[in-house]
Amino acid sequence: MHNRHYFLDLNDLQFKQVRLPFKARVGRFLVWFSLSIAVAVLYGFIFHQIFGSPKDRILSQELENIRLRYSLLEMQHDRSLEILDEIRISDDLLYRPLLDMDTIPSSIRKPGIGGIDRFGDLYGYNHSEMMIRFRARTEEIRNRINVQMESFRTVEERKNEWKREMEYLPYISPVNPIYRLGDGVKFREVHPVLGTPQWHHGQDFNTPYGTEVYATGAGRVIKAGWSTGGFGNYLVIDHGYGFQTTYGHLSSIKVTQGMNVKRGDLVGLSGSSGTSSGPHLHYQIDLYGKHKNPLYYFNNDLNEEEYFEMIQTLSSRSIFR
Amino acid sequence: MADAKYKFDPDSLSFDRIKLGYKAILLRSLAYLVGSLLIAALYGFIFAIFVDFPKEKALKREIEQMTLQYSLMQKDMEVLEKVIDHLQQTDDNLYRAIFEAEPVPSTLRTGGTGGVNRYKDMDGFDNSYIVIETARRLDRIRKQVYMQSISFDELIMLAKEKEEMLRSIPAIMPISNKDLTRTASGFGLRIHPIYKIIKFHSGMDFTAPSGTEIYATGNGVVASVQSSMRGLGNHIIIDHGFGYTSLYAHLDRFNVKKGQKVKRGDVIGFVGNTGMSVAPHLHYEIKLNSVAVDPVNYYFNDLTAEEYEKMIEIASKTGQSFD
Repeated sequence: MHNRHYFLDLNDLQFKQVRLPFKARVGRFLVWFSLSIAVAVLYGFIFHQIFGSPKDRILSQELENIRLRYSLLEMQHDRSLEILDEIRISDDLLYRPLLDMDTIPSSIRKPGIGGIDRFGDLYGYNHSEMMIRFRARTEEIRNRINVQMESFRTVEERKNEWKREMEYLPYISPVNPIYRLGDGVKFREVHPVLGTPQWHHGQDFNTPYGTEVYATGAGRVIKAGWSTGGFGNYLVIDHGYGFQTTYGHLSSIKVTQGMNVKRGDLVGLSGSSGTSSGPHLHYQIDLYGKHKNPLYYFNNDLNEEEYFEMIQTLSSRSIFR
Repeated sequence: MADAKYKFDPDSLSFDRIKLGYKAILLRSLAYLVGSLLIAALYGFIFAIFVDFPKEKALKREIEQMTLQYSLMQKDMEVLEKVIDHLQQTDDNLYRAIFEAEPVPSTLRTGGTGGVNRYKDMDGFDNSYIVIETARRLDRIRKQVYMQSISFDELIMLAKEKEEMLRSIPAIMPISNKDLTRTASGFGLRIHPIYKIIKFHSGMDFTAPSGTEIYATGNGVVASVQSSMRGLGNHIIIDHGFGYTSLYAHLDRFNVKKGQKVKRGDVIGFVGNTGMSVAPHLHYEIKLNSVAVDPVNYYFNDLTAEEYEKMIEIASKTGQSFD
């Protein structure tokens, strides 16, 4: 009541309440509404000019956060690549040369990343380049890991083989090194017993009767008994890899045919059995049936004490580690 | 006049013309302003919910894609890092098996298996990784700087005084040994690979593929070039004068003759596996007045202080010789 507005109707000079017809009201509302939008846009424009769009800013902030996370990822990448590089160096420069393996060509380790379509889903963004770079690096790391794993698998295999080889090949002196060496591998004009010219295919050790004779490498005893060829009581050990060692003129054999022995095992006692002019050990190394000079297969670098320390150490070890 | 508006005053029972004072006008326009602002904010809010500007749209799309890619790669890296960890362990195990020794811990492998995590107290925060990584890098740089700062003044002095002697005595490594990774076994007591007992190793072993060039480590005269299937295999002895001789063993081939004068750095032969040797390697020995000395003290021309330190560490740690 209080708020009602009146106007003076000049026709009949009466105060009449101001009443707008419905149409005029709608019209007025529409005018007001569009005016308000116009004002809102104006305000928005001014606000934007001064402060920038808040949504934009939130999004930009978010983008910044993501960029930070990407730089973290980059560090992870760097670190991984550095470690992989380190592993590669020890693989290529340490293990492979030592195990007599070829190094892996860098073309395999770092193949060119081809294929344009691989990152097709990443095109069309402001950060396309960055995302592609990251993906490519991840792929590179994955690839290098695969190569490295495969490489280590073969290195591991070869390493086991190498270790085994070292156990099996005849690499020590069969007797205490204080005993003097007798005849080596040479052509003898006069055989000491037979008196005829003959090749001597082994190395003699001038050992007294009953000297302990040790296996010079791991292997299997393939012969143990009396020789028809003049070696008397003798035994042959097959070491694999084409190697066989023969121990002749023994007084006693401590192993039986078919037995597995390892380096340093006592296999017999020296003597003078067979075609022999005096107590000695005949030691012979054959590689794929060809006679080799035993002196090439061991170093005379141990004294008596060290030799027996070695025998003791070796016999306490199992080759099946 | 027709527009003039009136108000009915119930007290005086008369129609009063509505007249707005200055104050009222101000108040009213203020009310309009506030009202319009509120309405504008309301509109803006509604608008923002339902409609994105193209720029924002692009931004959103970008963020979505980047987040997706990030989480994908992050997951990938988690797996990959585990595999790398595994590779490191394989590496260490191979080292142990081949050299019968504990591997030299790398600066990169802190916090890895066995090693002490020096950055533990930085762990467990939101940005731990970035902090730890930065600290790690800083540490490395600091160490490098420290090593570099150890001066070579004394050596330079010595060099000036004894130029001729310094040209002659062994002062470089006999093979190119970048990163020092070719150092296989040092001087001193080592487990013999065959005998399995501890024996004195009178030289230093370098692993290298057969055929790798071997350099004379100082000026001198080739005192002996010997082909042999035994012991040292094919080997060379160089007499450097001043009581020094150096020995290079298990060579594949020679590149010098007895009596030849050589200069430091000349290629004298090639790495091989001759004589009693269980793997291709170079056995390098220095004798001073016929007594074998530790070659690690004779690489000063080659190595920076840091490398020297690393070399000593590697050489002292190796457990097994190769001949």
